[in-house]
Amino acid sequence: MNEELISKKDLLDLAGISYGQLYRWKRKDLIPEDWFIRKSTFTGQETFFPKEKILERINKIQTMKENLSLDELADMFSPNISDLQLEADEVIRRNIVSKSVMEFYLENEKGKHQFHFSRLLEVFVLEKLLQSGEINLDEAKMLLQVLMDNRDQVKQKNADLLVTRKLGLSSCLLLVNNEGVYFDKGTKIAAHVSLVSCMEEIKTKLG
Amino acid sequence: METKKRGDLIINGFGSSNGGQFYQVIVNGKGTVNSDIDCEKFECNGTGTINGNVVAQSAKISGNGKVNGSIESQYLSIDGSAKVANNLFVKKLKIAGKAYVGGKIKSDELNLRGRITVEEDCEAEVIKAESQFTIGGLLNADLVDITIFANCKAKEIGGQTILIKQKSSLLGLFKGFIPTQLETELIEGDKIEIENTKAGIVRGNHVSIGPNCVIDVVEHSGELLMAENTVVREIRKV
Repeated sequence: MNEELISKKDLLDLAGISYGQLYRWKRKDLIPEDWFIRKSTFTGQETFFPKEKILERINKIQTMKENLSLDELADMFSPNISDLQLEADEVIRRNIVSKSVMEFYLENEKGKHQFHFSRLLEVFVLEKLLQSGEINLDEAKMLLQVLMDNRDQVKQKNADLLVTRKLGLSSCLLLVNNEGVYFDKGTKIAAHVSLVSCMEEIKTKLG
Repeated sequence: METKKRGDLIINGFGSSNGGQFYQVIVNGKGTVNSDIDCEKFECNGTGTINGNVVAQSAKISGNGKVNGSIESQYLSIDGSAKVANNLFVKKLKIAGKAYVGGKIKSDELNLRGRITVEEDCEAEVIKAESQFTIGGLLNADLVDITIFANCKAKEIGGQTILIKQKSSLLGLFKGFIPTQLETELIEGDKIEIENTKAGIVRGNHVSIGPNCVIDVVEHSGELLMAENTVVREIRKV
């Protein structure tokens, strides 16, 4: 992905934060390590950040740090999943997932009614895509299979999920540490979700 | 966690054991533990080797300890010589002897006196060092307070307040005899006061550069103070 980058100095100016704050947030893992991109410039080595992501993150930190401690914030942003257990009913009651999607999920996944975070994420992704009509039920089954087969990958990494269609055939891809993906003209991207942002969404809903 | 019912693992003399959950683990002789340990209190007074990770409430290495894994503890003091193959995640860490850490250090309060080598990053809220150290990654803390005792090296230093000063020599007798300095590529902070430092770039708000520094570029947004016998190749006000 060809993202626009911002140098550390410009970032501090633009966001109005100090070196101390930036380093503190880095220490608390509020800013992921792989957003620190080192490049050599004519002034020597400088650190750059993906502009859009970092500004959005800083904005979030600044609005939320009034209410939450930095450690709580870190829990929220970290892709590492907290030890969470929810009953299926509870998930529906909290409006994370609708009843019909939950039934569909349980039917296909054949798991228990207790949800830990990775299963919650799977059902949430289904909910999102099915409700918006981006995918149909067959595609949802396929997508679920991909997610279930790669639970470890999803947990550890920055993963993106992609559903494509070509000539009426659909396929589902899981991109890990996505650097960009390109298709031929005939292929249509039916849906594209970032699992990390889904995790954040769930955490906000839970919080 | 119920720790009352747990047993102790004590090795006096030669001995080896497997790891597990204990209340106390004390190695007094030349002991080897061959897997992970989870305990309340960990102490190594002799030549101990742990082939696994150590999770403890409080830990102390006074002899010659070697951990082929990581240590996670609320409190750790190293008075002897310690070699940790992976990471140190310790809330309150005191190193007074010699330590080698193959991974990174993550801590709240870090007190360094002695000789320390860290291969990767070293992070804490407060770092106080009166020592000789080599840090392969970033030294990152709210307050970095370093007194140079011998040649120190860190790839980068970042934080809010960064103070680097030279150890005051006895009556100035040996001054200049053994020139010691801190070497780093980059220092970034809001308040920076440095002495005897060789750096590529120093960026900050309030920057004060003391004697015996060699710095390629200083970038400052607030005030800049400079001592006389110091070399700065380029100054940029931003």
